[in-house]
Amino acid sequence: MINNALAVAGIVIKELYRRKDFYVLFVLTALITLLLGCVNFFNDDRIARYLKEICLLLIWISSLIIAVTTTARQIPAERENRTIFPLLAKPLTRGHLVFGKFLGCWFASGLSLVVFYFFFCVVSGAREHQWPLLIYLQALWLHWILLALVVAMVLLGSIMFAAPSSNSTICFIFIVGILLVGRHLHRIAIQLQEPIRTIVSVIYFAIPHLEFYDIREMIVHNLPPISMLACLIATVYAIGYTAFFLIATWLVFRRKSLTA
Amino acid sequence: MPDLVKIEKLRVEYRSRESQNGFKVAVDGLDLTVGSGEVFGFLGPNGAGKTTTMNVLLGFVSPSSGSASLFGVDVREPIARQRIGYLPELTYYYKFLSAEELLRFYGKIFRIPKGELEKRIDSILKLVELEHARKRLIKTYSKGMQQRAGIAQALINNPDLLILDEPTSGLDPIGRMKVREIIQRLKEEGKTVFFSSHELGEVETVCDRVAILYQGKLQVEGRVDDLVKNYKTNLEQIFLKVIGYQSSQAV
Amino acid sequence: MPKLFLAFLFVLCFSVAALRENTPSISVATPRQPDVNTGAGLLSSLMGDSRRMFANHFFSKADAYFHSGYYPTIFDRSASPERSHLQGGGGEQPEGEDHNHSEHDEKAGFLGEPLDCLESFGRNFFPSQHSHLETGNERELLPWLKLSAELDPQKIETYTIASFWLRTRLGKTNEAEQFLREGLHANPNSYEILFELGRICEENHKDTACAHNLYALALQKWTDEKNRGGSPDEFVCQQITAFAARLEERAGNFPAAIGYLEKLKEISPAKDLIGKQILDLRAKIDGPGIPLKK
Repeated sequence: MINNALAVAGIVIKELYRRKDFYVLFVLTALITLLLGCVNFFNDDRIARYLKEICLLLIWISSLIIAVTTTARQIPAERENRTIFPLLAKPLTRGHLVFGKFLGCWFASGLSLVVFYFFFCVVSGAREHQWPLLIYLQALWLHWILLALVVAMVLLGSIMFAAPSSNSTICFIFIVGILLVGRHLHRIAIQLQEPIRTIVSVIYFAIPHLEFYDIREMIVHNLPPISMLACLIATVYAIGYTAFFLIATWLVFRRKSLTA
Repeated sequence: MPDLVKIEKLRVEYRSRESQNGFKVAVDGLDLTVGSGEVFGFLGPNGAGKTTTMNVLLGFVSPSSGSASLFGVDVREPIARQRIGYLPELTYYYKFLSAEELLRFYGKIFRIPKGELEKRIDSILKLVELEHARKRLIKTYSKGMQQRAGIAQALINNPDLLILDEPTSGLDPIGRMKVREIIQRLKEEGKTVFFSSHELGEVETVCDRVAILYQGKLQVEGRVDDLVKNYKTNLEQIFLKVIGYQSSQAV
Repeated sequence: MPKLFLAFLFVLCFSVAALRENTPSISVATPRQPDVNTGAGLLSSLMGDSRRMFANHFFSKADAYFHSGYYPTIFDRSASPERSHLQGGGGEQPEGEDHNHSEHDEKAGFLGEPLDCLESFGRNFFPSQHSHLETGNERELLPWLKLSAELDPQKIETYTIASFWLRTRLGKTNEAEQFLREGLHANPNSYEILFELGRICEENHKDTACAHNLYALALQKWTDEKNRGGSPDEFVCQQITAFAARLEERAGNFPAAIGYLEKLKEISPAKDLIGKQILDLRAKIDGPGIPLKK
């Protein structure tokens, strides 16, 4: 299984670095960050936090665009171009294909993340003359773990929704929605009347809490690294949801007609 | 001659809203065998059930009833596909890969050792005459070259059985001739080829045996020479007669 | 030919960029004083009234930075202080700029007890401890204030607050003054900005004459607005008169100081205290040996 999945993953990674998406997003991020870095605010060249915040925001946007769009088109493109037929005519199951696509998208997103975070590290270090590497590594790790969850979720969407564009849009709304209001849902719920209260509470406990993986504020405000135990629990939490989405994808895809 | 492909009482039904009973029969009670080293032509008009039968053989579609096996192994087992090569109709391979990368990818799935894989890629690209373009991205290929890249991927595991779904569809005369030559060469190498086509002249030239399917049912099966002898006409006329086609002139 | 066309486009873009260089839309990048009004005109054409929304957002952002990211979202807003904490450092406290920490911290505990294990665990991943920017790190607020001012030049508190941090914590009096003058250019009738400029003259430049004029002008603008039927901020008026009175007192011009204090007494809730100050000053005038400034 691993051999087949890695072979499929290799193709996804090749696709990412041969397409222009990543380069365009990276250049845009770098350009905007560097331009903003050149801005003179009251003749003070030690101001750094706004730059870190904007750079991290751009990295988050870019990484989500890369992960969601790359994943959303994988299986639909295989079906549309009919490459899924020669592929599944080989000793490769649909489960291998789903897992391989997941690994490929996750590794590819991870590679792009490394490039983005390296750039961030250079920019923030150049401004602040300090490199809090531990929290940067924590941010990178949690961000990558989050992308595993996102990739698995989008993969399920790519089997369920007809077009990659609709899948991408729905997933973006879902992801951004969770990132913005996920952690407040319970507080919102207790102010509501029944049965909405129960429904919102159930949603709160059921959704994957993506905001756990966003420690940008900690980095921006030079706060100390988060505890390793919290990191570990967040990782296990993400693995659980990722596995759930992957199994759901496999179960749906197993019964899906390839020709439809 | 041992049977590489064996289909017994195969029936495939699809859900259909258009049909009164809620389903449509794509293949109905099909019995078929293909022996080792044969070139078998699978004929029929569009919608006859050829591709559905192939999809069953490849494990893409589950039969409603009956059975199908490759090399004596049920087609639902992935291992049954270890020794086959498949060329689907009208496939647009990964355009961001070159031909040799495409073959390397498929070779990895078969766990072919690296050294052997490289040798095999060399020989296959030579066979399909894509040696000169091996490093070029597939998106720069002509349709004929893409189809030959498809044949190359079908051959990467040195299969004993090749299943080709309309391999010459959409190609110009030179492209068709090249594909035909490849099939001939494979036949000379002793490979078993099971292919569907609408090019009846080509089938007559290349195939040892043919089967004609119409509305999901097997109408005729036999050696090409025998059919031509029995019906006292060429394969095209036999085909038209079997499916009950009458030209407007005849009417 | 295509290369020639590209070259032409490049030259065209460069020329347009060179022409645009003098415009305030890019003035953030230059230390020169921008023409704020024109900039607002351009931004308002591009963004309409939404620029005010963004300006408010960036202003809140600066406030959030002041609290090192420990800041209520709209969902926690009901539990948060009503006014920006940044304002505490502005013109509201003429004598001491330090925050009233006990009350402030009480208000800032907006998170409360976690409702469930997910919320409790989630607090590991964002700033959940209250702290303030200090030791020069207050500079981190400035980009957001500058951006807020660019988007909404009529938001006066942006100028006064930025000026406060610039001159008191970062020692950037010139930058503070220049920023206030930009604000004054966009809001010529702003008594708040005039008052802040007066404080710079008094406290930083030690130019009492200039400060006197600015306080007087600020008071005039405040009165004008009142006469026009507006509802100018009485607290600012109290501050202006208090500062003007103190300035006159330091200069030995007691009658003028008494004049300001009389005015302050009319509007201040601490009438007794001011009455006592007036009496003290009158005693100084009447007392022997105190030279009177003519």
